Amino acid sequence: MFRTLWQTIEQLQTFHHGPHSGPYTMTAYRRFTNIGLDRRGAIASRRDFLRSAGATAAAGLFTSWTDQVSCAAESLRKQGKRCVLLWMEGGPSQFETLDPKPGTSSAGDAGDIATVVPGVHLAENLPHLAKQMGDLAVIRSLTSKEGSHPRARYLMHHAALPMGGADLPTLGSSVAERRRAAGDYEVASNLPSYVRVGRVGNAGNAGMLGVEYDPLTVDGPTQPPRNARPASSVARFERRLGLLRRLESDFGTGFGAVEGADVVANHRQLVDAASQMILSPEMQAFDLERETTAMRASYGEGRFANGCLLARRLLESGVTFVEVTLGGWDTHDDNHARTQELCGQFDKPAARLIADLKERGMLDSTLVVWMGEFGRTPRINGRGGRDHYPKAFSAWLAGCGVQGGQVIGATDKSGAEVIDRPVSPQDLFQTIYHALDIDPSHENTTSTGRPVKLVDGGAVIDGLFA
Amino acid sequence: MRRRFHVFVIPLGLVLATSATTRAAGPKPTVVAKQIDQLLAEELALSPSELAPAVNDTTFLRRVYLDLLGTIPSPEEVRAYVADDLPRKRRRLVNELLKRPEYGVSQARYWRDVILSRRLEDRAIVVGPALVEDLAQWINDGEPWDAIARRFITATGTASENGETAIFVAQDGRTEEIAAEVSRIFLGVQIQCAQCHDHPWDEWKREQFHELAAFFPRVGMRPIRDARPLDLMVNVADRPDRPRFRSGVNLNRRGRPEHYMQDLEKPGEVGERIEPKFFLTSLELPAGTRDADRRAELANELTQTDWFATALVNRYWSELVGEGFSEPIDDLGPGRESLAPGAADRLAGAFADSGYDLRWLHKTILATDAYQRESRPRRTPDEKPFTASVAQPLRGDQLLDSLLAALEVDESRLRGLGGGRGGYGIATPRLGFNAAFGYDPSEPRSTIQATIPQALARMNTPQLNLAVQALPMTVVGRLQREHGNDVEEITSELYLRTLSREPTAEELATVNDFADEATWSGAAMEDLMWALLNSAEFAHRR
Repeated sequence: MFRTLWQTIEQLQTFHHGPHSGPYTMTAYRRFTNIGLDRRGAIASRRDFLRSAGATAAAGLFTSWTDQVSCAAESLRKQGKRCVLLWMEGGPSQFETLDPKPGTSSAGDAGDIATVVPGVHLAENLPHLAKQMGDLAVIRSLTSKEGSHPRARYLMHHAALPMGGADLPTLGSSVAERRRAAGDYEVASNLPSYVRVGRVGNAGNAGMLGVEYDPLTVDGPTQPPRNARPASSVARFERRLGLLRRLESDFGTGFGAVEGADVVANHRQLVDAASQMILSPEMQAFDLERETTAMRASYGEGRFANGCLLARRLLESGVTFVEVTLGGWDTHDDNHARTQELCGQFDKPAARLIADLKERGMLDSTLVVWMGEFGRTPRINGRGGRDHYPKAFSAWLAGCGVQGGQVIGATDKSGAEVIDRPVSPQDLFQTIYHALDIDPSHENTTSTGRPVKLVDGGAVIDGLFA
Repeated sequence: MRRRFHVFVIPLGLVLATSATTRAAGPKPTVVAKQIDQLLAEELALSPSELAPAVNDTTFLRRVYLDLLGTIPSPEEVRAYVADDLPRKRRRLVNELLKRPEYGVSQARYWRDVILSRRLEDRAIVVGPALVEDLAQWINDGEPWDAIARRFITATGTASENGETAIFVAQDGRTEEIAAEVSRIFLGVQIQCAQCHDHPWDEWKREQFHELAAFFPRVGMRPIRDARPLDLMVNVADRPDRPRFRSGVNLNRRGRPEHYMQDLEKPGEVGERIEPKFFLTSLELPAGTRDADRRAELANELTQTDWFATALVNRYWSELVGEGFSEPIDDLGPGRESLAPGAADRLAGAFADSGYDLRWLHKTILATDAYQRESRPRRTPDEKPFTASVAQPLRGDQLLDSLLAALEVDESRLRGLGGGRGGYGIATPRLGFNAAFGYDPSEPRSTIQATIPQALARMNTPQLNLAVQALPMTVVGRLQREHGNDVEEITSELYLRTLSREPTAEELATVNDFADEATWSGAAMEDLMWALLNSAEFAHRR
C-alpha cells in the first residue's frame, strides 16, 4: 500500500521552499510548513478525464454513447429551440467579411466572391460560407452608438447598456431560462443549459436569474470544464462523497441539525448536481475524440473549429445555448492580413456547423447567430488598420425558420452609412427571441423590485422569417 | 427631512452639542450593546423562550475570527481560548483581534467587494490592490468612517496607486452612475431609479437625482494611454469658461462643466442645465462651482446626515447578525419599515457619537446578545427577526484564507485555484479565487447561491487534493506521524483545524466506522480532511 502511495506522490509532488509573504497575509502569526503545490493546472489531462468519465459509462451503469445520442434525438424534439452564438470578440470588420465594397477606397485589399445565391457577394475571405449562403440571412445594416469594447460587448449580449442596480441576464442565460420555463426540460440533462466555450470579458452571466442559469465556462473546446475530473479515482471520490453525506446527515447532531439545516440541504443539492454531472455519460459530449476523423476534419482545425463541433455535440446532449468565441478582431493595425487569417479560422467551421446541423435535422430548431460588438471604419488608418465603427456593421443568422439566401439592409457605397432598413441591437434581439419562441416582452424583476423586459424596444426584423 | 433618531432626540442633541469632549471617548460599547438588546426585546416583544441560546466559546471564537480577521483560528488558538478562564474573555478577545493588522485588511476586502461587484467598467479591478492596501491602512490607523467616505468622494488620481478612486473608476467616470453609487454605498439610498422618472415608490423626484448628479459632471475617467499593465485615471475638467456640449460615446472620458438633464421627449437635445443640490440638506451650489468645491461640500454634508450613520450600521448589523434592520441593506427608503427602528436609531446615533469609529461599532455589535446567539436557518417572513444568528456563506477571501489556514498552505505557494469565471487582469490566485467564489456583499444573503464550478473547484482542484493527502509536509501527514493510527485523535485534530470544534460522539463513530472499512487509516484520514473541507459547515460562518 505504502509503495503505491509513494509512487503516486513521486508523480505528483514538486516541493518548493519559499519565503513568507508580505506583512498583510495571514502568515505573520501562524507557523507554516511550506507545502509545495502541484504545478499542473486545474484541468486534468484529456486522457485522465476520459478514463474517469469513460469508466463510469463502461461500468454498465449507463448507456453507450450511440444510445445516448439516439436518446438525445428524442430529447431534442422535446427540448424545442436551441441556439449557438458565434461571438466575434473585438469587432469584426464588415468590409472583409459580410459587406465587401469592391472598387471603393473602403474595400482595402480584399476582394469579393459570388455566393450560391445569385447577386449576393461576400468578401473573398469566406469561400465556405459563400457556398452555404442559401441558409444564411446576412444583416448589413446593424447600427448602434457604442464604440467602446466593454459597453458594446455588454450591449450585444444584453440588448441594453449596463446600468446600476439591475443585474441583467446575458442572452444565453435568458434563452436557457425562458426555454426551461416553456417546459423544455422535461427530459433532464445532467449538463447545464448554457455552456460558454472560451472566456469573454464582461459578456455577462445569469444576473438576476440566479446561478442556475450561469454559463458553465470551458476554457478550451478540447478540454472538459475545469475541475470536472475527480482528483482521486472515481471509486474513492464516491467514497468521499459518501462520508461527506453521512457526516452531514446521519445523526443530526452537527451543524446541520439545527443551525444550518437549510444551508446543509442546499449544499447537498449542489454537491449532488456537480458530482452527478461529472460522473454522467453526458460528459462525453466534451470529448471531441469520440467523433470520427472525417467528421473532425470536416470542421477544420483550430480552437474555433473545435468549438463549433463541441457546440453541436453539446446541443445533442441537451444543452440549450452554446456560445463559442473567436477573439482577435480588434484590428487597429494590419487589418487586411489579420482579418484574412481570422476569416480562415471561422469560415469553414461555421459553414460546416450549419451543414452538419442540417444533415442531422437540427437546423430547423437551432438558431445560429454570428456577431461581434461593432464594425470597423471605412477608412484604413496609417497603420493599415481599421478603428471602431458602431454606425454600420454586419451579422448573420441561420436556422430556426430564418429565411436563408437573403441580405437584410444595406450601407452606402463606402460602407459609412446605413441606407436601407437600419437594424438596432434591440431589433436583433427581438428577432433572436422570436426565432426561439421566446416572448421578448417577458419581464424579470431586479432585487429592488424593478421589472425589466428581456428587450426594451425594437421590432422583429421584417421579412427575415420564411 | 425627517429625524431618524426620534427616540433619542434629546440625549443625542446634548451629546452633539458637546461633541468635542464626548466624541473622544464615545459611548461605552457594552452600555450601548445592552440598550440595543433591551430595545430589540421591547420593540419585537421578544420572550426569552423564543431566543436561540448563546453560542459556546468555540463557535464564538470562529465567528469572531471570520468577522474581524476574515479567517479561522488555528487549533492552538482554539485550545488557548477554551483554556482561558479569566473573566470577560469574549470582550478581551474582540479587543485583541481589533488590534491585529488583518482586521483592516479583511474589512478593506469587504469594501472592495462592495464597490467592485457593481462595476460598470470591468477593467476597474485594477484598482483592487490599491483599494485594499489603502483602506486597510486607514482602518487600522483608526480613521473614522466619515473621513474615509470623504476620501472616496473627493478622489482624483490613478487607479493603481490610489484606492480612493475606486468608485469613480468602477463606474467608468459616468456622472449619473457615480451619483447613484455614492448615494447607495454611503447613504443606503437608491435614488438611481429617479434617473429617468420620478421614483416609483419613494418620494425622490427625477430632479433630485439629477441635482445630486450635478456634483459630479466635471469628473471623468480615462485609460492611461499606453500604460502596461493597463491603468485608469480619474481626471477633472474644471473649465467652466469654455462649456462644451460634447456628445457621443466618449462623453464620460473628460467630464464637462455642468450637468444636463435630458428631456425624455427630446432625447437628441442636451436638456436642462441642473445646478448641484443635495436632496437631504439645504446644500446648493451655483453653476460654475469648481469640481473640488462641489465634491468636498457634498462629502461634508452627506457624512453628517442621519442616513450616513444608519446606512453603515444597518450594513454591519446585517453582516454580523445575519439580517439588517432594513433589507436590502443598501435600499433603506424612505418609506421602508425598519424591523426595529428604535434599536437601529440608537445604534446609528451612538455610532455618530463615537466619531464614526469603526472599531467602536464592531465592539458594540459584537457585545450584543443578538450577535452572540446560536445560528438558526433563515427566518420565514412571519417569524420574528433577531431571535438567532444566521449562518453566513464565507466571502471569497474568507474561504480562501480559511482553506489556507486549515491546510497550512502559504499563499505565496499557491497556483491557479478556483472554479473559473475570468475577467480582466486575473493575475493572482487570490483574484482568480475571488472571481470564482466572491459575491456582491450588498445582495441579500438569501439570494446568494453556490455554483457548480465552485463545488467542482472545492472537490477536485488538484492543488487542494494534493494538500489533503498524507504526505510528509502536509497536515494529515504530520498528524499521522504524531498520532500513528489513532483515528479518534486525528479526527479531533482535523475537526479543530477545519471547523474549530471537537467532533460530536456521533461524528466520531461515523469516522471510526469509515476508517474500519478503509484499507489504511491514512487514506481514511485524507478522505475525512477532504469531506470536512467540502462540508457546508466549513464554507459558512455559523
